[in-house]
Amino acid sequence: MPIRSTAMPARRTVLRRSAAISVALTMALTATACGESGAGGDGRTTITLGYYAEAGGPADGTMRKLVKEFEKANPTIRVKIESADYDKFHTRLRTQLAGRKAPDVWLSDGVLVQEFAGRGSLRDLSAYAAKLNPDDYLGVDLIKKGDPKGRLFGFPQGAQSTALFYNKKLFAEAGVEEPTADWTYDDLLAAARKLTKDTNSDGKPDVYGFRSYSPSFVESWWPMVKAFGGEVLGEDGKVAIDSPQSRQAFDWMLRTMYEEKVAPDPVTTEALGKSQSLFPSSVVAMQFGIYARIQTANQGKVDFGVAPLPKGPTGERGDLANINAWVINRAAPGARADAAWKWIEYFSGEKPQAAWTDIGEAIPINTKVTRTPAFLSPKTPPADRKVFLDSLASADDLGLNPVWSEYTAAISEAVTAALSKESSVPDALKTGQSDAQSAIDRFRPAG
Amino acid sequence: MTPVTTASRRGRAAVDPPKVHPPKPSRPGGAKRTARRVERRWALLFATPYLAHLVLLTAWPVLALAYLGFTDYDTVSSPRWTGLDNYTRLLRDEAFWTSLLNTGYFALIFVPLQTVLALALAVGLNQKLRAMPLLRGAYFVPVVSSWVVMAYVADAVFNPRLGSANAVLGWFAIDPLNWLDSPVLVIPTLALIAVWKGAGYMMVLFLAALQAIPQERYEAARVDGAGAWGRFRHITVPGVSGTTFLVLVLSTITTLQAFEQVFVMTGGGPGDASELTVLYMYRQGFEYFHMGYAAAIAWVLFAVILLLTLVQLRLQKRWVHYA
Repeated sequence: MPIRSTAMPARRTVLRRSAAISVALTMALTATACGESGAGGDGRTTITLGYYAEAGGPADGTMRKLVKEFEKANPTIRVKIESADYDKFHTRLRTQLAGRKAPDVWLSDGVLVQEFAGRGSLRDLSAYAAKLNPDDYLGVDLIKKGDPKGRLFGFPQGAQSTALFYNKKLFAEAGVEEPTADWTYDDLLAAARKLTKDTNSDGKPDVYGFRSYSPSFVESWWPMVKAFGGEVLGEDGKVAIDSPQSRQAFDWMLRTMYEEKVAPDPVTTEALGKSQSLFPSSVVAMQFGIYARIQTANQGKVDFGVAPLPKGPTGERGDLANINAWVINRAAPGARADAAWKWIEYFSGEKPQAAWTDIGEAIPINTKVTRTPAFLSPKTPPADRKVFLDSLASADDLGLNPVWSEYTAAISEAVTAALSKESSVPDALKTGQSDAQSAIDRFRPAG
Repeated sequence: MTPVTTASRRGRAAVDPPKVHPPKPSRPGGAKRTARRVERRWALLFATPYLAHLVLLTAWPVLALAYLGFTDYDTVSSPRWTGLDNYTRLLRDEAFWTSLLNTGYFALIFVPLQTVLALALAVGLNQKLRAMPLLRGAYFVPVVSSWVVMAYVADAVFNPRLGSANAVLGWFAIDPLNWLDSPVLVIPTLALIAVWKGAGYMMVLFLAALQAIPQERYEAARVDGAGAWGRFRHITVPGVSGTTFLVLVLSTITTLQAFEQVFVMTGGGPGDASELTVLYMYRQGFEYFHMGYAAAIAWVLFAVILLLTLVQLRLQKRWVHYA
């Protein structure tokens, strides 16, 4: 008892001290967490900028350089960078949004803008953009088209459109005329036959004329469906892929892979080293590709050119475009949103856009830059980059809506089964349409 | 008090006894109770970090998950109560059933193969030779390697063009196979790779069990004329049956929760041929914003794991011998 009676006060003291420390720590943590306004003691506004890029790669390096220049030009704004590779960035972003900790401004894949906007995560940029001349920028209309009310939830950062890539050396060796703007799908098939070669006579082609299938469907079945007169998503927002025109397009693809054998089937495509490595390694002589494929083709040291996509039976080319965009977090307070918009405005300017063009990752969205020799007369192939601008001018969007990832995955899974001959084309289109429409119907807009 | 007591003693017979109240008998155990109460408080204080962890990081998420399973929750807006909608949708969701079938197929190959291989390795490595620790370590290396590293190594083996597996097939004039790109071969190939990664850990468990079997039993069997196979069948197998049961339960649970491997190596493809249930759940929650639906999948998966474990527990009475 005496021991306890003398020891207890000491323990109580310990307890009291512990409690005091706990309270102090809690207050400190709360104070840290409450630093949300972004206005520091030095009067500067701190914004968080998120983007996806390969760590240490050219895009990451250029972005960091541009951020430094932006801070220099805007001394009242401090930029905190959050970057990661594409997959990691988007996985983290979804968790950050759930935890209300997303960046103030981030680079969004164009196809995901409506996914975030539809869930109430993005700020409408229409009022900010109203101060700019829309004719000075490419892709604004395509972003607006994704929103049923025509609001602008993202501002263009870089554009991607489709073209026919062809390997000049393989064309010359086969004695085939290079593609022109007048080419049709019949011309494409005829050239592919001549370009397909079995050099070691093992009964399997070593060089294929064309890459018909790619999991990146913007470079495969989607433009083909449109060129044959079909639609993936109708104007009424309903899935419309189950149509006779789509069937024609898929039958044409099957013909190239299994009858004519001028294109690798899906299994062979993967076995040959994944779809995006076929053209850079000269395993295929032609492919449909977006602007960003210029980088990989040049890494493969391929001498190549680009031409407009061939015309389908209806005369349509089925051009598609994806506009990657800067978006502003709806939860960002006014001062941070204003600072974020300043960054967007800065990035859309001539100098930053010229720097971004040098990387060769995207078509610049500043129209003045698209007219400069840096873009039109590059040091690396392809020489004629205007093809991408023309394609962009006539391109449709990728059927954007708040469940884009889910509904396109449903279609893609079904049609890949058909292209792998695991199901028939009519069954695949029926399943794909039904599953994709269910995904769209399940969505309930925020608020 | 003391003088009064002395006086009273002296004059007890002559005078009225002084009204001295006897001291209240102290309650036996009262001090003990106080001490226990204080100790309980201290115990609670020391247990607080663990309890906080349990409540905040286990109990609360489990309760939240139970609630989310009955809601439409996109992670951005507030959850909306939808009752049993998620569970009724699950019943009609072909993709979910495909993922469950894929998981079952994966488990059917993986669990027995890993158990047999781990036991065989343990028996082989249960020798008193100088190089044994090195060999045991070598088999354990894949266990501690990440799935990303394993994916690179597996690609060197199963790459359709450059992999050594097809090179071996070539020696026997067999056409190369598209191991991970073929809808038919992808699950068996993934199971093989998973066995390669996991067998080392189970081998260690079996090694511990083997070393606990008394050597006298083997000696007695040898004296009775039992051969190597007889000793293995009648002494080793029953002797490690408790560990075999543990390995079976752990392997089954591991398989039903498999995610990293398919996420890194196939992404669920080709098509949905290797889409396992946890990957499907991840897609629903983190790619398609259906966190409520993903929560429902988690509960169904939990029920499946619980059911299988209960069945295994019931069946073990028939074949597990605890020494």
